[in-house]
Amino acid sequence: MNSNVYVRSKTSIRSISLTRIIFLLPLIIYGFYKNGIYLYIHNYVSVINMFRPLYLIIIGAAIGGLVNIIYEKIIKKNKDSLVDILFSSFHIEYGIILGSLVSINTNIIIFTFATLIIFFISKLFKNHINIISLTFIVIYIFSIFESNYIFSNVYELSKSFHLNLFDYLIGRGPGGVASTHIILLGIALTGLYISNNNKFEITLDSCLTYGILSVIYSVATNSSILEGLFLYNYIYIFSFVATDMVTSCYTNRGKNCFGILVGVLTFAFRLLNPILAPFIAVSITSLFNNFIDRKVNKMERHD
Amino acid sequence: MNKTISIKNNIEFVPEIEEFLNPDYVYYPYNRGDKLLAKVGDNLYKEQPLLEQNGEIIYSSISGTLIGTTGSMLLKNEEVNCLVIENNYKETVKNKKGAVKYINEYTKRTLLSTLRKFSSFEKLINIDSKILIINGIDKDPYEKTYSSIINNNCTKILETIDAISSILEIENAIFVANNHDNNNVINLTNHIGTYPNIRLKLLTDLYPNGFKELVVNNVLTKKQQNDGYMYFTVEDIYNIYTILKRVKPVTEKLITISGNCIEKSKVVSVKIGSNISEIINNCCEFIEEEYNVVTNGLIAGDSLTNINQILTNDIRSIFLNTIDSEKSRKCINCGLCNSKCPVNLNPKYLLEHKKADHSKCINCGLCTYICPAKINFKPHLGGKNE
Repeated sequence: MNSNVYVRSKTSIRSISLTRIIFLLPLIIYGFYKNGIYLYIHNYVSVINMFRPLYLIIIGAAIGGLVNIIYEKIIKKNKDSLVDILFSSFHIEYGIILGSLVSINTNIIIFTFATLIIFFISKLFKNHINIISLTFIVIYIFSIFESNYIFSNVYELSKSFHLNLFDYLIGRGPGGVASTHIILLGIALTGLYISNNNKFEITLDSCLTYGILSVIYSVATNSSILEGLFLYNYIYIFSFVATDMVTSCYTNRGKNCFGILVGVLTFAFRLLNPILAPFIAVSITSLFNNFIDRKVNKMERHD
Repeated sequence: MNKTISIKNNIEFVPEIEEFLNPDYVYYPYNRGDKLLAKVGDNLYKEQPLLEQNGEIIYSSISGTLIGTTGSMLLKNEEVNCLVIENNYKETVKNKKGAVKYINEYTKRTLLSTLRKFSSFEKLINIDSKILIINGIDKDPYEKTYSSIINNNCTKILETIDAISSILEIENAIFVANNHDNNNVINLTNHIGTYPNIRLKLLTDLYPNGFKELVVNNVLTKKQQNDGYMYFTVEDIYNIYTILKRVKPVTEKLITISGNCIEKSKVVSVKIGSNISEIINNCCEFIEEEYNVVTNGLIAGDSLTNINQILTNDIRSIFLNTIDSEKSRKCINCGLCNSKCPVNLNPKYLLEHKKADHSKCINCGLCTYICPAKINFKPHLGGKNE
């Protein structure tokens, strides 16, 4: 019998991508306030620099869209509508997440070129590695040649802080442009979980694994537990980077394995480089997503 | 995670059941080895035995002349040799008497022999089982066949379930209905009190809750399933009622006719053996000229390559619909197909591994429906049909 398709659900790459971007908006607005408006009000930056957080996010999104247009329209000669082409892959979302993750001090030229080149290569070679992590690592490497890569903005650099749990929850901890507000992150994750647009198991397992190891380490070394738990962008990365649809596992057990592996590797690499640790962990794990799914599927069939 | 999904449809159906009971010709597949019970040129009356096929008697659904055989008709898209009866539009029946006053007067022996004579339902009866499940949920969210059968024959169906239960000494009869099918829920709750051994079980309006596997899993425990049960659809029960009450074979059936290429969706009473193209031409007002014909549901159904097909007893619906033209993309690894599969299969894995065991697939089409990359899993899974 012929098995054509006559009705489809409205779920599409575009709907998933847009939903995830919508749930990122509160974090972006907070990032704009923390790294832009607040600094301008207190005379730390000019009007133009007040918009710097948005520049990074908009450039990231624009590069994602541009790469899709160049690849689909010019290389593949795709005749779909512009909107369909813009959301033919998750690159716009990747650009926004990357813009939210990098330091406010990131050189915009480095950010633009690194993102453009790696995004484009990923389109050509059908990405099998987590693109956001890889791009961040490249931006970081190029940035440290230029200056010391620090996450604090000019206001934070001018003062010294003793952060408590509440400070971390409302985003005063160190981190990227729009990735530090734990409460808003929790709201975004809840929304994505309800709308079924996130691989929640990966976030949960990576947070739990890393959290447990980090607490044990802090107790053993007598260092700050809070600082270890809310280090840089870790929770944001476990929520939005590790859960990238394309390069993470898709089976239920596979997602659990993936999350645990990300958590363990992040903790291990943290001892070498705390900023890059989660990105290296996600990049490495993403290379084995298909392998993990295949193994897990075999185990499930034997059960 | 919930293994079922809510599918909203805004299809409005014509409230009354329409009839198309006067086809010009009816067709019956005729294989080598089948025993012909009438001769070419004979004038047949309605419900006259026509041929014996694998031990089952096939009856003529119209009165008319047996004009011979043809190879031009299709059955499930494959050419078949079939007997052709030309309708004389008289609906002549040989024996007008025979109706039974109360169907619960049958004994176990007479019930089984009557069903054996006029249908294949006897094969579905397991006299040792103590549980009877009646599925009143349409398999496809765009169908309304079962819903119409309940709506128009609620008391007859309950009477039949009660009769079967008492004759076969069944302890527990469970009528499964859709909780969003408001008219039927009210109708059933109003009448079910008369039959204390029939229990109404409402399932949420989610796809694919109308499939046998899900109905059984929702209603029975694993132990009850292992102990044995009988499963019928409301259509089966209504057909059993017709056989037991009239002591005659079933020659008509209800089908849903719908789709985005016709003006009005409706439920139509048709003769078994009719040509689908004749039904379409007589029952549909088209709003689109280019259409595809799909049988048994828009999600899990199959499209017909040619509309000169025989309407058999297992066809519940005919849809005249456009094909979803959205291009499929590379898998994005979202895992929705895997997490939503109602029988816990991994459609992506099955798609990539042709030799993997596909036998558990119930062909519900949920993986194809839900896939954001618009991958068509259906041709590659090829599971079993109920």
